[in-house]
Amino acid sequence: MPGYSIWTALVLAIWAYIGIVTALGPGLWWQEALISGFVTGVIVGNIPLGLTVGASLTLLSLGLWTYGGATIPDFQTGAIVGTAVGALAGGGGNGFAAGFAVAIPTALLMTQLDVLGRAVTTIFIHGADHYVEEGNERGVVTMHLLGQLPWGLTRAIPVFLAVWLGAGPLQTLIKAAPTWFSNGMAAVGHVLPALGFALLLSMLPLRRFWPFLLIGFVLFAYLSVPIIGIAILAVAVGFLVNMAQTRSAVNV
Amino acid sequence: MSEQVENELAQPEPEQVVSGQEDVASQNGHIATLSPKVVRSAMWRHLITLQWSWNYERMQALGYLYSMLPVINEVYKDKAERIAAMKRHLVFYNTNPQVGSPPIFGATVALEAQREGEAVDSLKVGLMGPFAGIGDTIQAILYRPIIAVFAASLALGGSYFGPFLIFLSGILWTVLMIPLFYFGYRQGIGVAQEVSAEGRLTRLTDMVTMMGMIVIGGFIPSIMASVKTPLTYVQKVVVQGKVVTENVAVQTTLDKIVPYLLPVVFVVFAYWLLRGLKLSAVWVLIILAVIAFVCGAFGIL
Repeated sequence: MPGYSIWTALVLAIWAYIGIVTALGPGLWWQEALISGFVTGVIVGNIPLGLTVGASLTLLSLGLWTYGGATIPDFQTGAIVGTAVGALAGGGGNGFAAGFAVAIPTALLMTQLDVLGRAVTTIFIHGADHYVEEGNERGVVTMHLLGQLPWGLTRAIPVFLAVWLGAGPLQTLIKAAPTWFSNGMAAVGHVLPALGFALLLSMLPLRRFWPFLLIGFVLFAYLSVPIIGIAILAVAVGFLVNMAQTRSAVNV
Repeated sequence: MSEQVENELAQPEPEQVVSGQEDVASQNGHIATLSPKVVRSAMWRHLITLQWSWNYERMQALGYLYSMLPVINEVYKDKAERIAAMKRHLVFYNTNPQVGSPPIFGATVALEAQREGEAVDSLKVGLMGPFAGIGDTIQAILYRPIIAVFAASLALGGSYFGPFLIFLSGILWTVLMIPLFYFGYRQGIGVAQEVSAEGRLTRLTDMVTMMGMIVIGGFIPSIMASVKTPLTYVQKVVVQGKVVTENVAVQTTLDKIVPYLLPVVFVVFAYWLLRGLKLSAVWVLIILAVIAFVCGAFGIL
């Protein structure tokens, strides 16, 4: 049965730890599925798979943001575990179907551990209360720096276990699945970006700005303008409308 | 740099303080300065570690205290004073970490140097909400989605530039925290007035939203182009007087109505689930995934 060595699992666990802690500060965006999938692809030796799994997860996270510390599906961990499992199934469509089939449930289950990590860190602020009372500054510093542990470990431990023990059996299970399964997973991958776009649109003032959405659609769907061309036109339109607004403001 | 910063610090504006006005008035004329080294040390602590101890109870509070420690040590030489100052920073604090917090933190470093504890506290409480709103809007709604779609479409085409684009974004926002901090530090308490001059900001937001809308309009069909149906139906046509049966792809018929109809249908459906039925993103994800899986498995998609 194919599987990963304990060392690969450890390296991926450390990568998961670094990803989430650098997301907390300074905010390097390494927790983004595209980066975490890409780096995982480098580590397990299948970069194209890391790119496709990471990109597909990115597309369905378009409107997602941890507003006020909200918990959202953990596509960072999803991309790591998904890419690792998919790479065992070989590259190409099979690898993607397997990886994606694992990444989505992983991202959803990990929300439970995100809540746990955020809750457990509360211990450290109570420790800090205690040290401040004593005027023990060193203690305060220690409490703050240790605060990263629950965050990092709630990602690192599941990644370690899933890659070391889970990847082999999972991969065998998925490989045994019939073609209708991989067809289904491929369709899921194609359709789910709809969620990303819908989330994003629900955050934007659609009621005021919907005509601009139609302009973009017509440019691509009917006129086949490449996306870069649409983006350039968007900049022009943005400045033109801004100019018109400024002028009317001056005239009034 | 330091010379300039210190000079500008010499103009605290007492009228603008929400609370603690008496303190400022009594301190007028007395100008405390921090060594640039202390300011830099506080800036880096805030930049790198603000959220490392993020927790449900008081969120970014401990990170804020940790970042402020060098300043507290320089300003308050008496131990009891130091303890009191540390306690003040252990109260609830949470805002957007990269865009919102640096100017707030910078301004409070300047105020802490003047021993304006009350002003520091009211500034934090007053600005963390609005700055979270501004910062999250800029990053999560205007910037990230556009870059993320570009990066993802590049990556789907096999290009390493996709992840690199996200990587650059992280660097960009991190580096921006430095000038944002010094902006707050120089403005001191004036940071609130400076930023709430909102007319300009609204117009800028509108402009970027328009650009974003146009690009999203193009992205929906381009990213979801593979949402197609392989279904066919048999049609009898008369060719040169003979009746011939012919397979017609459903997709071709759909394309004649509106190209990329299926992607649009799915986006509208997901939007309706979110906004119309008020379902959470996780439920919409599950519903879409189940529908897509069943359609894919039966060869409808």
